[in-house]
Amino acid sequence: MTSRREFLKSASAAALAAGVVHPLLSWAKDAPAINVSGEDGMIVRSYRFFDLETPLEFMTEWITPVNHFYVRNHMFEPAKITLPTWKLTIGGEVEKPLTLTFADLQKIPVHSIVNTMECAGNGRSFQSPKVPGVQWGKGAVGNAKFAGPSLKSVLEKAGVKDTGKHVMFRGLDQVPGKVPPFIRSIPIEKAMDADTLIATRMNGAPLTQHHGFPARIMTPGWAGAASCKWVTEIQVLAKPFEGNFMNPGYRLPNSPVKPGEAVKPEETHSIIGLTVKSVIAFPNDGAKLKPGTQVIKGVAWAGEAEITKVEVSTDGGASWNATQLGKDEAKYAWRLWSYAWKPAKSGDYVILSRATDSQGRVQPSVAEWNPSGYLYNAYDQVKVYVQA
Amino acid sequence: MSRLKAVYLAVALLSAISMAQSPVEQLPAGAMQEKAAAACTSCHEARIIVQQRLSKAAWTKEVDKMTKWGAEVDPKDRDALIDYLSANFSPDQSAYIAPKSAVQNPNRRGR
Repeated sequence: MTSRREFLKSASAAALAAGVVHPLLSWAKDAPAINVSGEDGMIVRSYRFFDLETPLEFMTEWITPVNHFYVRNHMFEPAKITLPTWKLTIGGEVEKPLTLTFADLQKIPVHSIVNTMECAGNGRSFQSPKVPGVQWGKGAVGNAKFAGPSLKSVLEKAGVKDTGKHVMFRGLDQVPGKVPPFIRSIPIEKAMDADTLIATRMNGAPLTQHHGFPARIMTPGWAGAASCKWVTEIQVLAKPFEGNFMNPGYRLPNSPVKPGEAVKPEETHSIIGLTVKSVIAFPNDGAKLKPGTQVIKGVAWAGEAEITKVEVSTDGGASWNATQLGKDEAKYAWRLWSYAWKPAKSGDYVILSRATDSQGRVQPSVAEWNPSGYLYNAYDQVKVYVQA
Repeated sequence: MSRLKAVYLAVALLSAISMAQSPVEQLPAGAMQEKAAAACTSCHEARIIVQQRLSKAAWTKEVDKMTKWGAEVDPKDRDALIDYLSANFSPDQSAYIAPKSAVQNPNRRGR
């Protein structure tokens, strides 16, 4: 067992090997860029633990390249896992507990999905009053193709007993101090959905270290916390897993609360599917635009529901215009959208975007506040100046 | 190259050579600077702290939660640590600006 200090020493050595430079005065303006191998122009919310956000300028493509895909870690990443030593155990409320090697996993038919994954805390920094946690802006979200055996196919090999109601996942991430491990569970119905995967590939290549190599759970349409990385253990349980990241973590108030108000734990429920949301990828907030036609564009997603329309306002919400939805679509994937706008005159404009989904949910003008700042989804807004 | 840039470059090179700059230096000066670094940054870097903008009540909850999770805070220092964090990282402080990772392949840069 490695002590925490030894572990930190080796983590620091790994950071040096990766060419990481810790900037002095990291809270200061114009902090220098940090070199992170394989991650390109990302917003560094945290280096240790490793949390990267996708800048809006990368949200104009339907598929987010892996080096632009957000990374959220709660703990230290495991040391690089080698395939011959990795194994996956399946136990708990099953007829026949299993241990699978990576080679065993590769013998199971592969299923692919395109999924928009979003961190439950995306947009936390916009909550008022402010709440603790990684202060994500707009980019803890991405859309990628994930492939691997369905979780169902593996659970069926083990034979889920009638008593099995929830499925928990343990990853190989390393837990510091007395921090509770990052273990969560999902209901058996979602676990047995044909689209819930033990993903081994992302955008056609093996998962990278930061995205859970060699295998991660992919629970489509749900907050990213339901998609355990570096998975090594699956347990079928008779009831939801009881641990910090199930309760009090990742819960929302049952009814709206006054911003800043405390919420009783018994009046909360677990976050499952994502909500309806759009963001504006172009123009950027504060942009100076030339006169003439401008194509306002962005992305919109709705978890397990489908986006039915995205509207844009260029007059601060007084009037709304239909946008063109992109042709690329898949069940859990975001839609690109665009709107050609010709400003009538020079001056300041407030541009808003608002998405609606197949469940009739509409992105609200003000997001409901909650104590951990989860699932922020107010209209997106950018202010621009059109030059004469 | 501006003088500021030159200073940053020198600092970056020195940091790379001499290992990471000390976590103490990443936190603002104050009576609890060193103790905050010792208690908090063995598990996570100072950046996690400096991006927060929290009320004293919220900092109190965080310090107590982290102490339960293994942060070594002498009970005698608890109140002073909460005061230090609340004074430096309160909601009325200016917005935190995060750094970016270097662009490794400019041709792939979207817009």
